[in-house]
Amino acid sequence: MVATILLTIGFSAVLAFLIGVALAFFNQKFKVERDPKIDEVRGALPGANCGACGFPGCDGYAEAVATGRAPTSKCSVGGSATAETLAKIMGIEGGIPEDKVAVLLCQGAIDKTVAKGTYNGIPTCRAAKLSTGSVKTCSWSCQGFGDCTNVCKFDALAMGEDGLPHVNYENCTGCGLCVEECPQKILTLVPRSRVGSIVLCSNRSTVKANVIKTCKVGCIKCELCVKSCPEGAITMVNGIPVTDYAKCTSCGICVQKCPTKCYKMLEIDVFGAKKEVPVMQEAQA
Amino acid sequence: MDLGKIFLLALLVNNIVVMRFIALCSYIGMTSDLGQSLGMGYAVTFVTVLATAATWPIYHYVLVPLNLTFLQILIFILVIASLVQLVEFYLKKNVPGLYTAMGIYLPLITTNCAILAVTFENISFKYNFIQSIAYSVGVSLGYLLAMVLLAGIRERIKTSPVPKFLQGTPILFMATALIGVAFMGFAGLVK
Repeated sequence: MVATILLTIGFSAVLAFLIGVALAFFNQKFKVERDPKIDEVRGALPGANCGACGFPGCDGYAEAVATGRAPTSKCSVGGSATAETLAKIMGIEGGIPEDKVAVLLCQGAIDKTVAKGTYNGIPTCRAAKLSTGSVKTCSWSCQGFGDCTNVCKFDALAMGEDGLPHVNYENCTGCGLCVEECPQKILTLVPRSRVGSIVLCSNRSTVKANVIKTCKVGCIKCELCVKSCPEGAITMVNGIPVTDYAKCTSCGICVQKCPTKCYKMLEIDVFGAKKEVPVMQEAQA
Repeated sequence: MDLGKIFLLALLVNNIVVMRFIALCSYIGMTSDLGQSLGMGYAVTFVTVLATAATWPIYHYVLVPLNLTFLQILIFILVIASLVQLVEFYLKKNVPGLYTAMGIYLPLITTNCAILAVTFENISFKYNFIQSIAYSVGVSLGYLLAMVLLAGIRERIKTSPVPKFLQGTPILFMATALIGVAFMGFAGLVK
């Protein structure tokens, strides 16, 4: 009995010791020379292994950064602090990510637009877009089924009672998932620090009457903004006025002049909008 | 028993996954993609044969003479885990291509129940060394076969209208059960 116990302990200990020594030996013998930068970069990453960077975990991203295959700005969890550290380790400049947020380029709320009819199909934007072209008479408008809110991982998007998704700019990380998901491609990423005016309309129709008929807050291509801008910062691109933010001084003249109120001030009307988002009561189950 | 018989029995008649329902976790977990399931299958084949080659001598030349056969589970797990670690070191250095191909699966399968089951069965079926190797090759190729079968079926399931209450794992187990029924047809293959 005692002999068996002793033998058990002895044998297990000897085997474990032998294996331990063998492992240690082989670890040294088969050591692969690794770029020490990989470990350094890995140490600077948050270690959340979320995969938001598009690499298989922090290890994969660290290797990609260290070998120069990936920019230092991909880690959205670590944000600019991590990106700065990574850029320092790699000895490169300008690796700091722009803190971006999603902006919806449409103000076509239910009461501002005209529906084509009653849509009874699959309640997703993509299905509605595929089957009807657009549930509203404006082909560029938000479909309002909340595909974007469903993909948001940060609880930053919610459908409002007006039938449009509202971005909570405290939560938005600028990951771009909603931008990818939107079948209308009317969500866009804008740097959080950007100031100036922006057109919250995506209607590319060049026929003024069409826009007026379909939407109360659509850009009617009157080009008053282009003419009135004292800095000459606004140009029409593909039927939509585009602001040159290098010239824009946030004077607000275009916002005042715009007859359909589709020109908005980013820092006031978009980012500065009230934080409380009117959430629809009948959220889809 | 001759080797061919052992191999066929392990591969088809007593397929480890669909007939005996061992190693289901990796079977469900790793079959979402055909390439992934192949990688896992190769890695399991590789490690199973290696584990058999290592544990069979340890059992018959060390544990039996010392009368310590009750340590089987403990020692086998220890040996298999360390073995996989060693192999990983070796592959990393000398066969980096194979290492990157099997890389993440190797550490995953150190505790795969299929591998442990094979090493135990080699002992309880009283196989000699060569028979054990044949058996482990058969079992692990059977695992590979089952993985590839399910991965293929999952490609179809992805685009099929599965009832909501069966979505996800339930439908996979139902598919597995049906594969199992089909595999029963192999029962008379080996006399």
